[in-house]
Amino acid sequence: MTFEQAKDYLVSQARARSVDVEVLANAQRRLSVSMHDGRIAELTHATQGGVGVRAVIDGKVGYASTESLDEESLTWVLDEAIENAALQAGEGAVMLEGRALGRHDLLGEGLSAPVEQKVAGIKSLEAGLRADARVDAIAFASYAETETQAVIGSTLGADGGYRNGYAYYAASPVMKRGDSTKQGWDVDFSKEFHALDPGRTTQSILRRVGRHLGATPLPTGRYRAYFESEVTGALLGLLLYSLSGKTLAEGKSRLAGKLGARIASDLVSIVDDPTLPDGPASRPFDAEGTPARRTEIVSRGVLRSFLHNSDTARRTGQPNTGHASRSYASTLGVAPSNFMLETGAGVELTDGVIVTDLMGVHAGANPITGDASLQGLGLRVEGGETRPVENFALSFNLFSLLERIDEIGAESKWLPMSNLVRAPMIALDDLSFSGA
Amino acid sequence: MITPATAETVLTTARTGGADFAELYVERWRRRSLRTIDAKVEEANSAIEFGGGLRLFFGTDVVYAFTNDLSDASLGALVETLLRLRDGETGRVDAAGRGGLDLRRASATGLHAPLVTFDERDKGWRLERLRELDAGARVEPPVRQVEGRLLEWEQDVLVANSEGAWVTDRRVRTRCVASAIATDGDQTQTGHHGPGLSMGLELFDRHPAADIGRVAGEQAMANLRGKPAPAGTMPVVIGNAFGGVIFHEALGHLVETTAVARKASVLTDKVGERVASPVVTYVDDGTTPNGWGSSEFDDEAAPTERTVLIDRGILVSYMVDRLGALQTGYRPTGSGRRQDYTFAPTSRMRNTFITPGETPRDDLFAGIERGLYAKALGGGQVMPGSGEYNFAVTEGYMIRDGRIEESVRGAMLVGKGPDTIMKVDAVSDDLTTSPGMCGSRSGSLPVEVGQPHLRVSEIVVGGEA
Repeated sequence: MTFEQAKDYLVSQARARSVDVEVLANAQRRLSVSMHDGRIAELTHATQGGVGVRAVIDGKVGYASTESLDEESLTWVLDEAIENAALQAGEGAVMLEGRALGRHDLLGEGLSAPVEQKVAGIKSLEAGLRADARVDAIAFASYAETETQAVIGSTLGADGGYRNGYAYYAASPVMKRGDSTKQGWDVDFSKEFHALDPGRTTQSILRRVGRHLGATPLPTGRYRAYFESEVTGALLGLLLYSLSGKTLAEGKSRLAGKLGARIASDLVSIVDDPTLPDGPASRPFDAEGTPARRTEIVSRGVLRSFLHNSDTARRTGQPNTGHASRSYASTLGVAPSNFMLETGAGVELTDGVIVTDLMGVHAGANPITGDASLQGLGLRVEGGETRPVENFALSFNLFSLLERIDEIGAESKWLPMSNLVRAPMIALDDLSFSGA
Repeated sequence: MITPATAETVLTTARTGGADFAELYVERWRRRSLRTIDAKVEEANSAIEFGGGLRLFFGTDVVYAFTNDLSDASLGALVETLLRLRDGETGRVDAAGRGGLDLRRASATGLHAPLVTFDERDKGWRLERLRELDAGARVEPPVRQVEGRLLEWEQDVLVANSEGAWVTDRRVRTRCVASAIATDGDQTQTGHHGPGLSMGLELFDRHPAADIGRVAGEQAMANLRGKPAPAGTMPVVIGNAFGGVIFHEALGHLVETTAVARKASVLTDKVGERVASPVVTYVDDGTTPNGWGSSEFDDEAAPTERTVLIDRGILVSYMVDRLGALQTGYRPTGSGRRQDYTFAPTSRMRNTFITPGETPRDDLFAGIERGLYAKALGGGQVMPGSGEYNFAVTEGYMIRDGRIEESVRGAMLVGKGPDTIMKVDAVSDDLTTSPGMCGSRSGSLPVEVGQPHLRVSEIVVGGEA
């Protein structure tokens, strides 16, 4: 059976048994090629997908999934989901009324170039890095593309599907000059293979990593801080934890009770927009079939909304924002789509430290309290000149940092963090740097 | 799952397209997991994993792809893409691949077959076992929270390759895990116990649910009563069963060809040399009846075997998979394993243990003036190349003048695997094994670790006092 057929089969079988189910099918095709010394070092060619059933019976929820789409497997999965629901202790869950959601192709021919062109692209990128005398080794140089497909159906009328995808080049060279060795990475990301340019990515990586060669220790002190997009993106990833309706429902969000209150400087506006035409994470509806719409999360510093699915919305008494996430094999969660800090008027680099990399955001930052103490790499801007600096740690609290942002860059960049975020440069005064 | 004709087409296309060797792995894997906290269901999930992986060898270059669309068209496209991605480079084209394959069938004989099959007994019966586990764990009032988990797997595997192998194997595994948390106001301590075997729900005949809970509860209580462990270098008696995890991590991984072929192990090129104390014989056995890490065939269609790794202190074999054999020249040992179809196989452990010695258990303690009895171990960390490790002792007691005395908590064992195995000076005769999940390059796999009680003349103990 195809995914569509499997979904229809499960919905009709569930109706025949008078059981409410939501069926989510998704599939992913992934191609990745890594080069080493001009040869293919590793390649992955994979397609993986399946069908997951979420049954809601008397307010209890049961899950089961299958990657095999024959009738025997589908019947087993429906039986198991129903039995699993009956075992549950929790109650009060509901299934949303559904509607026809249409079929959407958000990808088109974006990734249809022949595989040889993709191999040639990453080969030229890797060769371009090796041609630079400062490059001592290449930790990785890869091309990867992912195409996703999702289909939803429910006994309460949800019915829809879409296809999306993206491609990227990513590489991490180790560069050396004298005693100074630096490793860094960059990624170039697009929904269109032909919009990627290996030459441009090579130059960008060499510039990003090479500018740190010859770095000297940064003296301890308080400096004006300029966070590059990559660093801003990591902070947005940290902030997402507190904005999730799931965190809020579990009583762990620092932003609980702050709807309508100022939580950031009035330059800060954050939106999540699944309807963006060129958004790599765009989707016409979420994992419960709630149609997509733009959500203003923070408007000029004021918290307007959390990210909710139907369950977290019900538990917190707030509106469902259509942020349900689920893969066929997982349970219902909350996730952003195209999550963006909106660009500002621009940043003027006067005097301070440009923070280009922050290490260990996952381990060194507490998502609940927002307290972070992280090692950084950067560039000192002083008297109209910039020079690389290293061996410093930044200590800050995410929530107080948000209130102190006084400039935001005019350009921003998509970043594949654990979620996809789009971030510009941000700047703030008087941040504590502990260094030499 | 697929027909021999489909397999033959895919494998032959790969061979004529330039691959030296081609292998198709297909699996259908049904799983259930049931988790309770304080006897209430926290999670109940069921899943079928289904898919296939295609592996091509060009000399010792390997490419791997996987899919869960196993139609002829999809598998045809897969082999085509892999050949195209070779970018014009080909291995030697061997005419032998062109004449079609004579697939030789072999299937498992049922050595580890379950008595209670996957579809028997209802969910209520399963939940009842976890309720018994919960009650069993509450050995004393300070045990405040009990988690129970029941995992059931039924994995059907087919491996076909361009040498003509066509092997099918059904692997049924069941595991039940208890975790107990004991609190007395200031202190919170935990205890765990989780037997698992290659069998069905008859696991509970060998390990009654209440007993599984009780062991976890008693361990949590021992830790709660424990005094902070002393620090220093001292003789250590390591308990049997999961005590074997040290040598799994800090010795076993060093004798997999995955490490040896890259010369990333200190035990590379050491076959025939003394690498352990003469009282140590170390075995990796894929054939143990109903062993958690057993299977009749490995994931490369080779029959599993009992591989003696270290014989009375002398290194006699590595654990060798197909690629490892090509790279190192050592004989394959049926050790090619993978988590599922999304991973290419590599050399991995199965059921690995130190064989019984001759010292009665009580004699291990005699003569120790001051030492540590590490009765149960938990997780640890190992540097893969050097075998440097640290492991947490999850249940420990002081040894004084040959007697086991008060319990201690927070002890860590610190050392280097290859040094520690040299310092094993006595091995008892009470071998038992214990299940675990081992993570490495080809994913997370069920393995048993094990040993009899044994004594190490000295280990650095990291403690709090």
